[in-house]
Order: sequence, then C-alpha cells, then structure tokens
Amino acid sequence: MKNINLKNNLLLLTLIGTALLLFLLDLFLGSVKIPFSSVITILCGKHIDNESWTLIILASRLPKATAAILCGAALSVSGLQMQTLFRNPLAGPYILGISSGAGLGVSIFVMGLSMFGISLSSFPFLANYGIIIFSFLGSFMVLLLLLAAIYRLKDIMTVLILGIMIGSIINAVISILQYFSDNQQLKTFVMWTMGSLSTISNQQILVILPLLLLALLASFIISKQLNLYLLGEDYAKSMGLNIRKFQLIVVLITAFLTGIVTAFCGPIGFIGIVVPHIARMISKTSNHLILIPMSILLGINILLMSDIISVVPNSDSILPINAITSFIGIPIIIWIIIKNKRITNVG
Amino acid sequence: MNNVVAISDLQIGYENQPLVSHINATINSGELVCIIGRNGEGKSTLIKTLCKLIKPQFGKATINNHDLFGMSDKDFAQLISVVLTSKIAINQTSVKEFVAYGRYPFTNWIGTLTEHDQQLINNAIDFCGIGHLAHRDFSSLSDGEKQKVNIARTIAQNTPIIILDEPTAHLDLVNNIEVFKLLKTLTTDYHKIIVLSTHHIELAIQLADKIWMFNKGFFMEEKPKSILEKGLINTLFENDGVQYNSLTNTFIFDK
Repeated sequence: MKNINLKNNLLLLTLIGTALLLFLLDLFLGSVKIPFSSVITILCGKHIDNESWTLIILASRLPKATAAILCGAALSVSGLQMQTLFRNPLAGPYILGISSGAGLGVSIFVMGLSMFGISLSSFPFLANYGIIIFSFLGSFMVLLLLLAAIYRLKDIMTVLILGIMIGSIINAVISILQYFSDNQQLKTFVMWTMGSLSTISNQQILVILPLLLLALLASFIISKQLNLYLLGEDYAKSMGLNIRKFQLIVVLITAFLTGIVTAFCGPIGFIGIVVPHIARMISKTSNHLILIPMSILLGINILLMSDIISVVPNSDSILPINAITSFIGIPIIIWIIIKNKRITNVG
Repeated sequence: MNNVVAISDLQIGYENQPLVSHINATINSGELVCIIGRNGEGKSTLIKTLCKLIKPQFGKATINNHDLFGMSDKDFAQLISVVLTSKIAINQTSVKEFVAYGRYPFTNWIGTLTEHDQQLINNAIDFCGIGHLAHRDFSSLSDGEKQKVNIARTIAQNTPIIILDEPTAHLDLVNNIEVFKLLKTLTTDYHKIIVLSTHHIELAIQLADKIWMFNKGFFMEEKPKSILEKGLINTLFENDGVQYNSLTNTFIFDK
C-alpha cells in the first residue's frame, strides 16, 4: 500500500511536469513562428519590440492554452464522478444531457431567435455573449430537471435513464430547428458542436477560473464520500453517508463544471470518458483522493496535447478540437483494452 | 458498559403493505440473536428496517434509549455495523484497504487513519484469520473469503452492535461454521450485540442466546431451549414432510 502511494505521488509530480512542458509547447507552436526565448520573455511580462508577437501570445495563445487546462481538468473530474455515481464505465460528463441542454440553448440563440423575428443587431451585448448565456441557460434547465428527478425518484439509475431521455428529446427539438434554419446559421451551430478552445478571452477566463477551481476543490473534498459510494448505496448509507444529499452534490458539481466549460468552449467529447479509465489504470487504486488529482492532471495533459496537434503547421487553420480528442482518446482506450484484455470496471 | 436494544410494537413491510406487526424484543450486550423463518416471512425486512434501509410502518426501536429511526446516518454508523446480502463490486482495492473502510465513520474528511485506527484494522484482520489475504485484491477473493473480509470490516468499525443479513448464505459447511464461531466469540469475549438472519436452524439453535422466529405472519422471541421444548420449529414446516429431531439436532424427512 505504501509503495502504491509513493508511486502515485511520483506519477502526479511527473504529470505536473509534463503539463508545464506541454503548456509552454502549446504557447510556442502556432501559425506564426515566434522564437522560444521571446515567448518566455513575453510570458514574464517584459516588453519586447515586436508588438504583434506580444498580442499573439497574450491574447490568442495564452487564453487558448489556459482553456485547454481548465476544460481538461473540469471534464475529466466530471466524467470520473459520473462513472462512480452510475457505476458505469461508459458514463461521462454529458451522460445526463447537460451538453444537449447547452446545445438547445445555443440552437435557440443561433437558429431560433430569427424565426421569431428577433434581430441581434439591436442587442450588441447579446451578439457577443449570446452563445455563452444561452448555452449556460440550457445546461441550467437540464440541471433543474435532474435535481427535481433526484428529489422525486428514489433510484439513481432511473435518473440516468431520464437524463438520456431528456437528451434525446432535446436533440429532436434541435433537429427541427436545424431543418428550418439557413446555411449560415446551420454552419455556426455545427461549428459550436465541434468545440473550440480559441473563442474564449482572457477576461472570460478570469471570470470562470475561480468558479471552476471552487468546483474542482468541492469534488476533491467529497473524495471520501465517493469512495464510500463504491461499496454500493446500502453499504454507503450504513456507514454514515447521506445518499440523497451526496447524489445531489455530485450532480450539482458535475453540471456546474460541465455547464461552464460547454458554455465557453462547446461540447468537448471523449476526454471525460477516457481520462478516468487511464487514471484508474495507471494508479491501480479506486481511491478518489488519488483518482481526482490524477484525472485533473491527465485531462490537462491530454487536452493540451490535443490543442497542440490541432494547430495545422504553417497555416492559419485550427482543426476542430473534438476531432483531435477522438483521434487521441480512441487509440488510448483501445490500447488499454488490448493490454488488459478488459476495461477496468468502475469502483 | 451494557448496551440495550429495545424494539416495541414495531410493524414492518414494504410500501404500505404491512408484513408483520407487533414485534417486541430486547437484546443486551453479549447476546447473539438469530432470526429464523421461511423465505418471505420478514427476516430480511426486519433487518433492513433495523438498518434504516426501509422505513418502519409503526412502532419504535431504541438503543440505550436513543431513538434508532430518528438517528442520523453518521450516528448510526458509529453504533451499528452491518453485513448485507448485496454483492460488493469494488475493484483495485486491497483487502486491508477494504477492512479500513470500517474506520470511515470515525476518520476526518480526508480519511486519515490514526495509529488507533491502524491497530483496530490489524486486530480485525488477525481476529478473522485473513492476514494471508491482506494484500490481495478484494475482487479476486472467493465468496467465503469476501464474507470474512466484510465481517472483519464490521469488526474494525468497532461498533457495539453488528447486524448481518444471511451472512453464511453462499458459504460451504466449513466456512459456515467458522463464521458462526467467530460471531459467537464476539458476543462472549467482546460483549457485542449480534443480530443475524439465517436458514441454518441447527446452528442457530446451538449457538444463539435468543431466537427471533417469523412464522405465518407472527413474530416471537424465544430462548433456543424453549423453541425445542414447545416444538415450535416443526410449526415452521407444517405439511412439508420435514421434522426437526431435537435429540439429534437434525432435520429428518417423513417417508
């Protein structure tokens, strides 16, 4: 047991190191070539003569890399919590329909408002922040439905099925909106569903950073409860866990983390499902006190890596982040399955 | 310290369907209580009610005059540890870590084990004779081993009361007797209160201090001796071609 703890602490330290390296690499690589020494100088807040370089690093690459860190951490922890809550290895941050809710909000904003003759040109604030606001409202609506369901229904698996049903019906509504929308609107919406780390600004990051840190801290604080929950509801209750309260807290934290991330970066797939499995596999423990920091760091590493890959060399284009997370995530999970001949069960 | 569990006029059942009413019983420290009765008569329902997994329909239960049903989950976990019939599917957890779960109701928010906790865990492992399994993964154990480890977890929890729902249901004869002996020692040497349900009536009658019997919708509390003297056992199996022979302490089939 002691050896495992020591090994895991070393692993965590290594992951912090690789995350730092990937972060710097992410700032260094891009369509415009900037010498590494200049990147460091700019990061240190010193003045350099090339104004455009400073602008590229601080206003474009820095928020993008920071967004990768925040999304990676938030989605991975959400996925871990959902897998523990539902004892299901395929559960992820979006299993409860949070992303569908966000999608509905965004589709109403992008495609629905014009149907009702509401023009955005008269609301400059809405034009800038509309997607974020509507996405968040959509997630929040799904969250309220889920909380009501947990309050009314005794069985958490029923809540899971309800979450999936909510997701399906919302997707039906979205498809109707898509059917009646024009090409430009449709493209805007489809682009949103592909996820993007580059739309977020430094100011926005400063707003969501404390919120996400708070939620991540909360998920770490309930580690002991998550561990107890692995024994099954009845045993957990008999050992002092208030089940209903615990389930509410887990859903709240997950919806909060996922809702915020999705509002700013769109639904980013795969990270939340894959990372907890990698965390369990390399740490060889079911203890959430280790799994949560491990998932956070692995999520950060993988999303930074995805972001680095998404930048096409010598061109202005950035590939959709969702395509990259799938390209990275799926081989990893296949490798895990082949190596272990099975996927480690949750718990 | 003497602990007293008192159940008075308890009515149990699922939803609004009463199963058994007027349950009255008391237990003192150092007593082993076995619940017997046929399937569906209320053994598990009573255990689940006492473990607060389902609500009582009427009546009350107290532990040292504290209301059991009004108690918080946390207070409950410090007084009563339980072994249920539900399977525990936990992976990547060593036997020692599993036994350490018993200390969860007592540790701080991060689950730090003090020296006292460590000692209780090690004692529990020794007491149940599972030292050789300590570093094995819980999920790799056989049913019998898992059950012993789970009982070790309740011993590490170090509560005055242990409640077990059919603790020997999936065990072979040797494991079965070992578990019963272990539980008996806990009552005689450590003055714990142990309540368990079982279908092993012969073992129950030999080892229990009290028998709680469910029969045809009625509950009764008896000494094992008087169960035999009154011939109550045979009322459990009326018309089923089975007789209990109290001299040989075995069941015999009518030809």
